[in-house]
Amino acid sequence: MGVPAFFRWLSQKYPKIISPVLETLPLEIDGQLIPVDTTEPNPNGEELDNLYLDMNGIVHPCSHPEDRPAPETEEEMMLEVFRYTERVVAMVRPRKVLMMAVDGVAPRAKMNQQRSRRFRSAQEAKDKEEEMEEFVKMLASKGTEIDSTLQKKGWDSNAITPGTPFMDILSIALKYWVSYKLNTDAAWAKLKIIISDSSVPGEGEHKIMEFVRSQRSDPEHDPNTRHVIYGLDADLIMLGLATHEPHFRVLREDVFAQDSRPRVCKICNQKGHRAEECTGKAKEKTGAFDEKSAPNTRKPFIWLDVGILREYLEVELRVPGLSFQWDLERAIDDWVFLCFFVGNDFLPHFPSLEIRDAGIETLATIWKENLGAMKGFVTTDGVVNLERAQYILDGLAKQEDAIFRKRRQVEERREENAKRRKLQQGNNGDSKDGTKLPTHRGKNERVPTAHPANIPLFAPNDTSVETKKLNHDVVVNRAQIRTANYANKSAAAALKAQLLQNTLSTATTEPSTAAGDSKPNPDQSVLGKRKLEIMEEGSGAQTPDTQTPDTEAVDENTDTVKLWEPGYRDRYYEQKFNCPPSDTDFRKGVANAYVEGLCWVLLYYFQGCPSWTWYYPYHYAPFAQDFENIGDLKITFTLGKPFKPFEQLMGVLPAASKHNIPDAFWPLMTEEDSEIIDFYPETFPLDLNGKKFAWQGVAILPFIDEARLLNAMNKIYPKISDAEKARNEMGSELLLFSESHPLYDELATQFFSKRAIEGDFQLDPRVSEGLSGSVRKDPNFIPHSGLSFPFSNMSSDLYGDIDDDQSMSVVYLLPEKKNLHKSMLLRGVVLKEPALTTADKQFLANRKQGNGR
Amino acid sequence: MQAFSTADYATRFAGRSSNIKRPREITCFSYDNNHELRHDESSLRYYYTPELNSDLSQGYNTFIKHDDSVDEHLDSLLESLIELEKKDGKLATDDIDFVTWRGMVTKIMTVPFMEDGFEMNAVFHEGTIYIEENNQYKQANRGFQDERGARMSFWGYKFETLSTLSKPWADASREEIENRSREVVNNKAQYCSIVKTGFGSCGLIIAGEVDAIWDCRPLNPENAINYVELKTSRSISTPNQHLNFEKKLQRFWAQSFLLGVPKIIIGFRNDHGILTSIDIRETQGIPSNMKKEHLAQGLGPPPWNGNVAINFTTAFLEWLKGVLAGATGVWRIRYQQRGREVEVYQVQE
Ligand SMILES: [Mg+2]
Repeated sequence: MGVPAFFRWLSQKYPKIISPVLETLPLEIDGQLIPVDTTEPNPNGEELDNLYLDMNGIVHPCSHPEDRPAPETEEEMMLEVFRYTERVVAMVRPRKVLMMAVDGVAPRAKMNQQRSRRFRSAQEAKDKEEEMEEFVKMLASKGTEIDSTLQKKGWDSNAITPGTPFMDILSIALKYWVSYKLNTDAAWAKLKIIISDSSVPGEGEHKIMEFVRSQRSDPEHDPNTRHVIYGLDADLIMLGLATHEPHFRVLREDVFAQDSRPRVCKICNQKGHRAEECTGKAKEKTGAFDEKSAPNTRKPFIWLDVGILREYLEVELRVPGLSFQWDLERAIDDWVFLCFFVGNDFLPHFPSLEIRDAGIETLATIWKENLGAMKGFVTTDGVVNLERAQYILDGLAKQEDAIFRKRRQVEERREENAKRRKLQQGNNGDSKDGTKLPTHRGKNERVPTAHPANIPLFAPNDTSVETKKLNHDVVVNRAQIRTANYANKSAAAALKAQLLQNTLSTATTEPSTAAGDSKPNPDQSVLGKRKLEIMEEGSGAQTPDTQTPDTEAVDENTDTVKLWEPGYRDRYYEQKFNCPPSDTDFRKGVANAYVEGLCWVLLYYFQGCPSWTWYYPYHYAPFAQDFENIGDLKITFTLGKPFKPFEQLMGVLPAASKHNIPDAFWPLMTEEDSEIIDFYPETFPLDLNGKKFAWQGVAILPFIDEARLLNAMNKIYPKISDAEKARNEMGSELLLFSESHPLYDELATQFFSKRAIEGDFQLDPRVSEGLSGSVRKDPNFIPHSGLSFPFSNMSSDLYGDIDDDQSMSVVYLLPEKKNLHKSMLLRGVVLKEPALTTADKQFLANRKQGNGR
Repeated sequence: MQAFSTADYATRFAGRSSNIKRPREITCFSYDNNHELRHDESSLRYYYTPELNSDLSQGYNTFIKHDDSVDEHLDSLLESLIELEKKDGKLATDDIDFVTWRGMVTKIMTVPFMEDGFEMNAVFHEGTIYIEENNQYKQANRGFQDERGARMSFWGYKFETLSTLSKPWADASREEIENRSREVVNNKAQYCSIVKTGFGSCGLIIAGEVDAIWDCRPLNPENAINYVELKTSRSISTPNQHLNFEKKLQRFWAQSFLLGVPKIIIGFRNDHGILTSIDIRETQGIPSNMKKEHLAQGLGPPPWNGNVAINFTTAFLEWLKGVLAGATGVWRIRYQQRGREVEVYQVQE
């Protein structure tokens, strides 16, 4: 979820929700790795039933790790995925269900963000490549021996999008791996595995939520099921809350843990030096497998206990003396709704709400103050009561001016402090760690000065190892932040600068002591040239001038909207929306679209996607003041149909990633006479929108017009191959289990005996051990056939062929949804002993009375 | 007259364990809101957590109360068996020695420890003994119910209304769930389950009201049905109250045991009829948990013993079967409060 720092904010505010995962590690005896026997009791103190894997949170770090060399082939990436998944499953030891969900085509509302991420990622890759080329050229001119791998093109992570050949390989790989585990791991004997690959529409975590909701609505569902969800998105916490299953944990790597792994250089992937010190020399190979055989140091994992968060929220949100029944479940829903105002993947957040400006606290206070007057909760089972929502917006509107002014004051104070520190540092000449910091930087990057609260904690998608590392650095060693961030952002450029400074020092015109300089330097080298343009001051959002030359640096601090000065609303609408101050209808339209968005997001979280085609058609949010009488609005959604994989690919990928799409479609992205060429700009403006870092800015990309896109693609469809057509089809979820499970005999009789039936067969939860839904024959499955390692061109010591597959695979269908899902605890749920002591609660109460921070 | 001695029950019926058959539902029926018989499960309710701190007196004045002074005999039970026989095309009472309401067997089962008196009428017909309560005795012995007593009996029905839904939770609307406290309490509607069960060599068909179901009917009809019994009781704060509750628990347990109802849900209330807590107990574990609790807290022997009750019932039914086999006319089964024997004698040729 696009709530930067949400996870961190939450874990600092509510410390007891976090606990370390107790993991039994495989023993090494005489060089042999003895795997952990996970049939043994769970070392974490209780047995866990269901594990849900948001697989994109595994595939991304495994295929293009940012802290170590990337696997060389896609097949090797799969082995990495196996290894990582194996570890996660072994630490959770699920006893009933393992669901592996890969992102399928997303709702249209999400595609704006996906598009922006993928265009940026392509842009970054291109910049890196150019930098590298320059660097290699320079090394060559110096006569340095160059490692050939340096010149290799990086793997395009945009391949991790439904419909690409890569996702096809992933799907095959996961099916093989699950069958392999079912045949070889005793701990899987009673496990039911659901694979929802990228051919099944929907975002991974939302497919998981749909599953949880569907099971919950079955009368035979065990209300005390222990759920664990693994993933990197901070909104898994919200989703966990939204299920109203109190025994719910979120599992993730501990991003705050001290990284014990030796850092590798970003350029040559070798240890022992940082990117700035890289000489580009080829590394010496150690053994046949080189760095792959290096000790697999493991990052620790942590639990985030949604049950304990519920306890905190009960204390935080409780309002006494109401004229209606207090209901924690509904208070939680309202809180989740408030969090959406501060950020989500589908709407830009309000200018006045920032998580580090205590945005959630501000809203929660308004909510509590108005709850009595509203005479009820703002939301009901995912549906917003707009009349009541108006109270919240009014409350925020009143504070908006003050929030902007205060934010400015705080910033100015920080600037002052920074200047003072800079002066002091200037006297020393060097930074604290003694290394001279390279000062060259792209004009839209800024080396953060010592502004702890302003340092970015998480990138919007919260999945980048880079950001986590950055975050880690913030926590561990603020002094190093400059170096780390610098190296991460533009290693080759940094290196070049370093070399320029140290070996060709005569050429540099950059001041060597400007490390803490808060003003970026004019870009004087072609090396670090950025194609992402900063939007020119005052240039309209809808008619971006993409040709703006980047010879002149824009000081991003010169924010011309100046939210802290009167008249900011007019300036904002003029500059961001190209809308004259007199046009109040336009503002109303923006606000109405935003209300629709809030309703869409809430339904998406609580009931499932309400419309595949709806999206918020602006790059910016309105102000709270722009909402008037929203209670009069009637919001309805048309469900529509999800895009097909290729349509989503064409909707979110830049032309640079076209190799992921059938070549018949390429001309649409590249040819000047393509009727949709305007969807694929080579360059695009980036509006920092008052922020400090490029990744925080808003990429001004044209929105995809669905009708035009589909129209253009429909002309090409007849030209694609059958194999490609198959990749474009909607698939179904699979259920796999071993012969040891009672389901095997039951379904073997149903599907493979003389009395075999055609069509759907309803699962009996008393046979499936709790799983409800129905199943259908998997046309690709033959009982007791051979199972072979799917990658013929490589061998694996770990995974081999199995002659007689003792697992079964069937098509799995969720139980039919009959009704709205209700935000209530189920009957028979047994809550755990409270984790919060009276002292904890008192502490919270005292803090609330304090200054709100 | 013949008599079955209840003397020294604690020793006579301890130790050995009778051969008990798990009750299995053979059919069910409903009374609708007007107490009309329906051969379906239309009045089956679904349990869902009631709101704590609810006022169990709310709606007392609008209570639609079934007049239970009218003798209903075994009518609806027999009609249901006829309906079942039509459907199955075979006799429902093959290998069945007794056909009766669950309440009758409960009274027998609790003789050793409860010592409440009763009178029943029995008829032998085509190999099966049909037993019903002697309505005259029942009416004569029910005693005067004062305003408070009436209110307290309402609390029980109110609790049922507060804790159940007309359909499974997932199918019910939020409005239905939240408006339960405003629903008119009507005890004319009932759902009854008819089960086949066995004590020793005796086969029984027993019918009894079931308050609700925990989840839903199992997909496979061979599997047990997770019915629940709903009860209210005074919340416990003194040792004396605890003892009283344990005594009451015997009837709760016996009733549920007889129909194979696996869960008993007790709504504890204070003296003002405010629901204070909910306790969900597994029927099967009640006798042994009570024993364990007494042992652990040094409370001495528990007030009743499940095994003795089962063994007593088995011995008594086997004896009764012998007495009434081939008998003609109407027979009376009588137990006088704190008596030492159960008497059986003919009252009508
Ligand atoms: Mg995802």
